Amino acid sequence: MDFWSNFLINLVQGLTTTLQILVISIPLSIITGFILGFARVYGNKIIFYISTGISTTFRGLPLIVTLLILFFGLADLKIYLSPFWASILGFTLCGGSYISEYVKGAIQSIEQGQAEAARALGMNKLQEIIYIILPQTLIRALPGVSNEIIYMIQYSSLSFVIGVKEIFSVAKTFNSLYFRSIEIFTTVAFVYLLLIAIATLVFKIIENKLKIT
Amino acid sequence: MISDTILNVVDLHKKYGDSIALDGVSFRVRKGETKVIIGPNGSGKTTLLKCLNLLVKPDKGRIWLGNIEITDPRININKIRRKIGFVFQDFNLFHHLTVLNNVMIGLVKVRKLKKHQAYKKAVDALSTVGLDNTLYHKYPAQLSGGQKQRVAIARALAMDPVIMLYDEPTSSLDPQFVNEVLQVIRKLAKNGVTSIIVTHQIDFALEIADEIIVMHKGRIIESGRPTELLSNPQNILTKKILIRNFRTLR
Repeated sequence: MDFWSNFLINLVQGLTTTLQILVISIPLSIITGFILGFARVYGNKIIFYISTGISTTFRGLPLIVTLLILFFGLADLKIYLSPFWASILGFTLCGGSYISEYVKGAIQSIEQGQAEAARALGMNKLQEIIYIILPQTLIRALPGVSNEIIYMIQYSSLSFVIGVKEIFSVAKTFNSLYFRSIEIFTTVAFVYLLLIAIATLVFKIIENKLKIT
Repeated sequence: MISDTILNVVDLHKKYGDSIALDGVSFRVRKGETKVIIGPNGSGKTTLLKCLNLLVKPDKGRIWLGNIEITDPRININKIRRKIGFVFQDFNLFHHLTVLNNVMIGLVKVRKLKKHQAYKKAVDALSTVGLDNTLYHKYPAQLSGGQKQRVAIARALAMDPVIMLYDEPTSSLDPQFVNEVLQVIRKLAKNGVTSIIVTHQIDFALEIADEIIVMHKGRIIESGRPTELLSNPQNILTKKILIRNFRTLR
């Protein structure tokens, strides 16, 4: 089999793994981000400290270190995660922590009057959050969240350090076999660019759909 | 208690830190009555109004809405608030909802009406405030100040409140929009909607009020019918407020 056929077949397999990781970890990180963000604004003291602790820790650690701890570190404690699931957990925690910042900022940017008007209508706290604050938070946090998702697509390449056979790992392996760096890495770069272009387009469509004026 | 009393406020006190906002305020509102609260900035008018549906919790004092003491800590205040229409100075329309949904949300989520019932009530309320139906699907950011405030009034009105509270409803409006909002409040008051209005529009207060309450430094310094206050103000501050504004009027 010639170089290109071999490389492209492996690249597609790697891309499938990358996509699997992203398809699972992006929604999970958005959910985590919203839970952490709301917990930081509305939680009691204990919930506030726990959520702030999680967010500060995983924003403070380089993602590569987080992945190594989750895969190798936890294994030392007899908690065995597969490379695939360790990556998903790492991306979810890191992405969710960053997204929680956007969510927190979005909630705090909503005027006090919105909550007051909800209460004046007789809404309880939960109704106020679900029907008034959450939809406005979604709209306001979206640009930041989409930015974070783009980073996550790029970061997904880091999972090669714990042995996930995603596209970057395929590229590295082929580079050490064939030393055709320019072709290999340019192809990989093009794939990442394509993924990010698609994600940007999707978020643009969502943003336009949610636009309120 | 007098049988037609809708709201009874007794000895209300509120402090923000060391600053006294309310210092023993008491009054009653009868069914169908329009009460207007005037006074200089910082006299406690807005705090008083927000205490009436417990958006601000008074430190001391009691409030009855009909026969229910709303300051009783065992009471579910959310159930009481839906009976008290509140119109804010800054409109506080929900930015993410259309005009129609702003009015319907309380009916659907709080009063648990079916969507078609809520729609009918919302349309009724919006037509009461004279809002053109071409605006029903617009968002608040697409409306003028006057239109926003009329939607806010409709949102409160649609809940079938026993009393409407207006907190400086025209203060955030450009002058050209003031009249359309006053017109709506005037119409509702004339139709017998019990109202408490905090305002700086003295001319409007004199025209619409059954009774005017003058506040200063958290206290009611004087109250009475507009004609009484105008012809024979007992307090020097009342005199100043009324005469200054009435002259400007003329």
